[in-house]
Amino acid sequence: MNKDVYILGIESSCDETSVSIVKNGCEDIATVVLSQMDTHANFGGVVPEIASRMHVENITLVIEECLTKAGMTIKDVDAIAITYGPGLIGSLLVGVVAAQTLSYIYDKPLVPVHHIAGHIYANNLTRKMEFPLMALVVSGGHTELVYMEDNYSFKKIGGTLDDAVGEAYDKVARVIDLPYPGGPLVDKLSYEGKDVYQLPLPLDDDTYNFSFSGLKSAVINLVHNCNQRGEMINKENLAASFQSRVVEILTKKTIKALKEYNVKNLIVAGGVAANSGIRNGLKKVCDKNGINLTIPELKYCTDNATMIASAGYFAYKLGRRANIDLKAMSNDNLK
Amino acid sequence: MKILFLDTSSFFVTVALIDNNKYVFLFQDEIRDDMSSKIMPLISKAFDKVSYSIKDIDKIMVVNGPGSFTGVRIGVTIAKTIAWALKKDIITISSLELLSTTSVDTKYVIPMIDARRGFVYGAVYDNNLNVIKSDSYIEYNSLSEYFDESTIVSYDKLDNSVLPKVDVLKIVNKHINDSTLNPHSVKPNYLKITEAEEKLVKKND
Repeated sequence: MNKDVYILGIESSCDETSVSIVKNGCEDIATVVLSQMDTHANFGGVVPEIASRMHVENITLVIEECLTKAGMTIKDVDAIAITYGPGLIGSLLVGVVAAQTLSYIYDKPLVPVHHIAGHIYANNLTRKMEFPLMALVVSGGHTELVYMEDNYSFKKIGGTLDDAVGEAYDKVARVIDLPYPGGPLVDKLSYEGKDVYQLPLPLDDDTYNFSFSGLKSAVINLVHNCNQRGEMINKENLAASFQSRVVEILTKKTIKALKEYNVKNLIVAGGVAANSGIRNGLKKVCDKNGINLTIPELKYCTDNATMIASAGYFAYKLGRRANIDLKAMSNDNLK
Repeated sequence: MKILFLDTSSFFVTVALIDNNKYVFLFQDEIRDDMSSKIMPLISKAFDKVSYSIKDIDKIMVVNGPGSFTGVRIGVTIAKTIAWALKKDIITISSLELLSTTSVDTKYVIPMIDARRGFVYGAVYDNNLNVIKSDSYIEYNSLSEYFDESTIVSYDKLDNSVLPKVDVLKIVNKHINDSTLNPHSVKPNYLKITEAEEKLVKKND
C-alpha cells in the first residue's frame, strides 16, 4: 500500500494569508485563511504595501493555527508547497521567505506552485481531475482556456486581450457605485434585474481569446449618457444585462473549445468561479452537451492554500523542487 | 551563547553567527537585487562552516527597521519563522542604532537613512548607544541643533554624511540581555504609515 503524502501549502500572493495541510492531493486536513479584505475595503481596492505588511504580521500565526487544527507538526509533512507567483511581489515574498526558512529548518523539500495551477487543482478537492480536460480560468487577473492532457501539461489555447473578467466586474461595480469588492455584488444584483440593455457581445470571433474592455466601455457610456439625460439607470437591469453578455461569451467559447479538442471534461478555476451566473450558465450548456463539469466549492474558489497544497502534491509526485534560493515572481507563465 | 544576527534593512546586508562574543561567520556586503533569494542561502552557508546546526542557536537578533520596507520584511520574516519554529529567543534591533555603532570622534552620532522627498529616518545617539533623540521620520534639518557636535552617518550619501562602519559585536553586547519577544508579535518598525493610509487620514480630517 502506498504511504499517504501530506503537503503543507502556503499562499500569500495577494490579500489572503493562508496555510493548509492536504493529504494525497485531495483531502483537506486543515486550512486557515486570514483575509485582509475588510482592511482593503477602506481603500476601495487592495493596497500592495498594506497587504505586504499584514502578511509579515500574520504569517507565523497562520502557520501555527493550521498545524494546531491538523494536530500535526511540520516534521509530519512530506513537503512544503509555496505560491511563488504570479501576484503582488511584496506579498509573495513573505510566504516564499517563510517557506524557504521552514524547508531549511526541517529539511523538507520545497515545491514551487504557480498560483493559477493552484486554482486549477482546487478542483481535485471536489472531484478527481480526469484527463484530457479543458480548464476555464476566470479571476481578477486571468481569463484563459487551458487544455490539459495530463498533470501539469498546460496548453493555453486562448486568453484575454485586455481586462480579465473579474476586473471587468469590479469596474462595472464601481460605475454603478457598488462598494469594493463589487464583482460579487454585481452577480447578486443581476438576479433582481432583467437583460434589457443593449450591450455588445464581446469579441465574438473564431478564436478562443476574450476581450472585456469593449463591454466595460459600453457599460460606462450607457451610465454616462443616462446621467447626462438626467435619467436614472436601473442598476439591477444593467447588472443583469452585463452578466448575461459575460456568461454568453464564456460559455460559447468554452463549448467551442471542448468540441474542437474533443474533450468531455471541463473544470472551472479562479475567484470568478464563485460567480453564480457563470456557474449556472456553464452547468446548463454542459448538461446539454454531455460534458462533465467540475467547479470547486465556493471556499476553494477564492485564494487559499488548500489548492496550493493540492497542486503541490502533483508537482511533488512529478519531482518538481525548488531550493532555498527560490525567487518570487510577479509574472510567470503557467507551468 | 550562540547568536544569529540579521540585518537586511538596506542594501548593505549583515548575516553573522556569533559564539561567545566572537564571529564564527560574518557576511557584510552589498546585495542590491533579489535579496529574498539570497539570505537563506547565506544562513545555510553560515551553518555549513560550524559544527552545530541552526537548532543549536540560543538567540536571534534581527534589525527590524527603519529602512527598505521589502528588505526589513525579508529579515523579519526569516527571524520570526526561525524563532517560532525552533522556540528561540528573538530580539529586535534598530537599524539607526546599528549605524550609530560607527566609531566617531564627535560627542554624538546622527544615523540617517534617506526616506525621500527631503525626509530621513534619523536619530541622535551618543558613543555608548544611549538615545539622545529617538528614531523618527523627520526632515533632514530638524536635527540641525545637534549638527555641530555630531557626525552624520549614512549609506545614502546625504549632505555632510560619512559612510558607516558598523560594529555588530558592540550592539550585540548592548542588547544581549534584552527580554525576548513573542515571535508572532515581531514586526517591522517602518516609522511611516503607507501613502494610502496618509491619504485616508487627510480625507477624514
